[in-house]
Amino acid sequence: MSDSWYNEAQPHETRRRFLQKLGQAGAATMLGAAPRAMGSSKIEHPAPTADSCILLWMAGGMAAAETFDPKAYLPYEVGTPVEKIISTFPKIDTAVDNIKISEGLENIAGVMDRASLIRSHIQQDLGSILHSRHQYHWHTGYVPPQTVAAPHIGAWISKVLGPRNDVMPAFINIGQRLEGIGESEELKAFTTGGFFGSEFGPMNLPYPEQASHAVQPPEGMSADRFAKRYNALQELLKNSPKSEQLSDYHQESMLRSLDNAHRLLGSRQREAFDLGKEKKEVFDDYNTGRFGQGCLLARRLVENGARFVEVTTEYVPFLHWDTHENGHSTYKRMKQEIDRPIARLIKDLEERGLLERTLVIVASEFSRDMMIEGVPGSTAKDQSRAKTDIIKEMKHYGLHRHFTGGSSVLMFGGGMKKGQLYGSTADERPCLANTNPVTIEDLHATIFTAMGISPKTEFSIENRPFYATRDGKGKAVMDLFA
Amino acid sequence: MRMAHMLFFRSVFLGMASVAATAQAEVDFAHQVVPILKKHCIECHGGDESKGGFSMNTRDLVLEADVLEIGKPHDSFFIESLITDDEDERMPPIKKSKDPLPKADVEVLSKWIEQGLKWEPGFTFAKDRYKAPLKPREVKLPAGPKDANPVDLIVAKYLADKGMKFPEPADDSTFIARVSQDLVGLPPKPEWVEAAIAGKLERRAVIEELLADQSAYAAHWMTFWNDLLRNGYDGTGFITGGRSQITEWLYGSLYHNKPYDQFVRQLVAPSAEARGFIEGIKWRGQVNASQTTQMQFSQNVSQVFLGINMKCASCHDSFTSEWKLKDAYSLAAVVSDSELELTRCDKPTGVKAAAAWIFPELGEIDASMPRDQRLKQLANLITHPENGRTQRTIVNRLWMQMMGRGIAHPVDAMDTEPWSEDLLDQLANELVASGYDIKEVLRLIATSRIYQARSEVLDEAVQPYVFRGPVRKRMTAEQFIDSVRTVTGVWPKPDKQALAQKGKKYGQINAMMKVEGLKSWGDRPVRAAFTKRDALQAAMGRPNREQVVTARPSVLTTLEAINLANGPEVAKLMEEGAKGLIDKASSQNIVEQTFLAALSRSPSQSEIRAAIALMGQQPNQNGVEDFLWSIFMLPEFLYIN
Repeated sequence: MSDSWYNEAQPHETRRRFLQKLGQAGAATMLGAAPRAMGSSKIEHPAPTADSCILLWMAGGMAAAETFDPKAYLPYEVGTPVEKIISTFPKIDTAVDNIKISEGLENIAGVMDRASLIRSHIQQDLGSILHSRHQYHWHTGYVPPQTVAAPHIGAWISKVLGPRNDVMPAFINIGQRLEGIGESEELKAFTTGGFFGSEFGPMNLPYPEQASHAVQPPEGMSADRFAKRYNALQELLKNSPKSEQLSDYHQESMLRSLDNAHRLLGSRQREAFDLGKEKKEVFDDYNTGRFGQGCLLARRLVENGARFVEVTTEYVPFLHWDTHENGHSTYKRMKQEIDRPIARLIKDLEERGLLERTLVIVASEFSRDMMIEGVPGSTAKDQSRAKTDIIKEMKHYGLHRHFTGGSSVLMFGGGMKKGQLYGSTADERPCLANTNPVTIEDLHATIFTAMGISPKTEFSIENRPFYATRDGKGKAVMDLFA
Repeated sequence: MRMAHMLFFRSVFLGMASVAATAQAEVDFAHQVVPILKKHCIECHGGDESKGGFSMNTRDLVLEADVLEIGKPHDSFFIESLITDDEDERMPPIKKSKDPLPKADVEVLSKWIEQGLKWEPGFTFAKDRYKAPLKPREVKLPAGPKDANPVDLIVAKYLADKGMKFPEPADDSTFIARVSQDLVGLPPKPEWVEAAIAGKLERRAVIEELLADQSAYAAHWMTFWNDLLRNGYDGTGFITGGRSQITEWLYGSLYHNKPYDQFVRQLVAPSAEARGFIEGIKWRGQVNASQTTQMQFSQNVSQVFLGINMKCASCHDSFTSEWKLKDAYSLAAVVSDSELELTRCDKPTGVKAAAAWIFPELGEIDASMPRDQRLKQLANLITHPENGRTQRTIVNRLWMQMMGRGIAHPVDAMDTEPWSEDLLDQLANELVASGYDIKEVLRLIATSRIYQARSEVLDEAVQPYVFRGPVRKRMTAEQFIDSVRTVTGVWPKPDKQALAQKGKKYGQINAMMKVEGLKSWGDRPVRAAFTKRDALQAAMGRPNREQVVTARPSVLTTLEAINLANGPEVAKLMEEGAKGLIDKASSQNIVEQTFLAALSRSPSQSEIRAAIALMGQQPNQNGVEDFLWSIFMLPEFLYIN
């Protein structure tokens, strides 16, 4: 078949003959029944390969050379010129022959045969590094500021697909505190349903162990009392002399929302939020900290019908992956924090038959380098706190600058190929992506496509279109799909 | 298990089919379809032309012509006539265009048909599209009693012309709750509620008393203006000094009811304390060309004061309005210290922008003058007595705040045809005649019979809109919290940030104290408009003030409802409130008092019974908390009726 019905239309037909032909079998083949691809792209109306999505967010800029894209290793040695250092950990084997990753990720290495590993993810250099600004770009697909409130990718998925299970919020955000930390206003700016409204915004669960509180009666209120209180409201409504007002659609929808809330708070699914219901040995295996607990919570939520879940290592300026000094020792700890829970999550999903239809993504706003801030030639200010030409003490040893020229992304399940390596970066500094670069737009297009959402999906706001990927231009990386 | 899974996925997939059809709408009407039609079809089949009896002015006209079948481009004569090789039959005709339509264009149109012939609501190629007038216009009032409110004269005629009755007056209890919320954002005073129940309410006197309460009035309208002018107490930009507050200036302006023309001039050509508005939000690093602080100025000045959407035109000539890239940049150039280059969709054009004004019939800006002078000229043009656009834009916003929906709607699109030009123009003229007195316009609306009428029950999305009377409004987050606190009598202490010491960058309470000349805050209530946006306020729709916001969400969502059902902020409000009430009285007294304070009416016997069934005869802490919660969750409380 040719690429478009257009080529097959008979040029000399008049309207009458054309219509006559429609009744014939040949025409039926020509026209096709399903929505058709009109251009050269094969996936304009994608059938979903995933029903749920878990985004594991490595907040603060995870260095590829220290994790999933290791380069030449130089051990710590006082006097080493820093320009010689690219990786501060040796390589290890993985379950896939041609893929080596960084020491400290042995568990993830063991499930690499279930992953597509992208090593060529690139970000726009925004001129000056403010993590939350790059995170805004990564999560919404748009560079801030914007004239309208851009929705988070989870809000897009929630808006277009809705919840998988009626009582389960479609977009759940685990692990990020939004109060009392640096750049919190900037984080809030993208942790939002944006112009879709708060119905599609995240349910925020900063502390996984306390997640059950979010779906329980308020602190100190028994389930009986909670039910009795809601009953009292119903009684008052029933007896109100103003009941005629309730036919107003605003008020109707308000009562419907209250009802939804009480349904979740009284539902079986609410147990999904309760990590206390998990076997101790399982909890302990996941429990490397809040991130590990978050992975366990994500699994429980997806099992119970969650649509989009983000779990973050948490962005706090200068903490965790955001290393401005002491990179090596911090990365040792961070790898311990993510390695076991991520691998366990993949295996658990697989064991439950959920991995095939759950897309799990491990990503970060950018990578890191020992020498380069942004990309070569960037005007971004050098933000290392351990500036030195040669290694003098441990705090100098590590990757302390923000690098936007090539980072790594892992994608498991949800229709992705297994055990695939995609893209690469140069082995010598600057370690720029040198094959198959994947932009944020294209990565988003890939995620949307897997979820069965066209990257060109648009909604009208203030009389203009706003697209799932910028200007509708994101192109899914089809080579990643199985 | 396996089978169950397959069925599950199958049902998910099937359930999504209808969603997918709309969600995957890929053809963009404004950006893709309109340019093709304009270029190839509209000359003969649009505007005043309808060759062969075929006009494409509106979607309905296209459908009526029966030239296509939605969903089936290949069955459609419309498409066939574009691609046929028969030059006698092909469109556009051979004498207009030698070559057939490019294949890519045909594919766009085919997809457009396939995907349902999506059309921008209200869009037409017709030439007689509503053209909003610029200059003020004298209104000939319909005949009526000499002392009648001009608003009522116009509305009565409008309703009569539509064959509709003037709505019944609202009862005194409903009125007193409505007017108090609308003018000062608080439930009515107890003595007014008593008077309403006793049938002794003096509506006029209450309106005057509310308007005279400078503090309460200003505190309430801070919410509206903070949203409109993006005045946040914290938020993006502050972290790197790329943003400043205008709280003191704004509170002072509202407290003293600054004439609106002066108010606008001080914002556009500001002194130091009001500069935050035009300077916008500067993020660290590079931003898109359409989002520089100068372009923010262009967009915000247009939207806030003129009801013009310059956002499309900030990237390219607008497809849906008359505004061009050049217009957006001309306004930006007024505020810019350096020369600006027109940038189309983030690609520099090489063309330099010159400061200019978008309605040259009112006057010009001298681009050679320094920035301060240019801003003054712009401020004078926006508030030019002949600039009816500015006047209409603000009175339309005030009408929406009071009546629930704009006369021209949405209120940021003032080129939309109003449901009554006479009413819009009359209000604008009253504003000017009063010396730009905002309170005078509010007084005129509040004292009208139509404002004081029963609110209408709204069906979702009945089109086209016909005005029937006041629309119910959802309380803002700030109104909700202030109302709960008024009912329970428990107010918070000002937090440290709000009461920052001199020289600190925050301190909205200090700003108020300065305006009112207060030495100390004492135990005055802290209205929610002056507190930080907490999780409850955010959940209830208080925006983060990164974008201009002119309407809060009118519908409560499930996530908000979860927050109301179990959020710690609400629980704390109830706990504190119950503590305040519990010692005072019996359960029956608490029920009666709370109904009066919260709902401006007495409870019925059955309501008392329901409440006491919850609380028991002797009130205890939990019982009172739960009773308060169920009162505050009533739509009757959460909506202004």
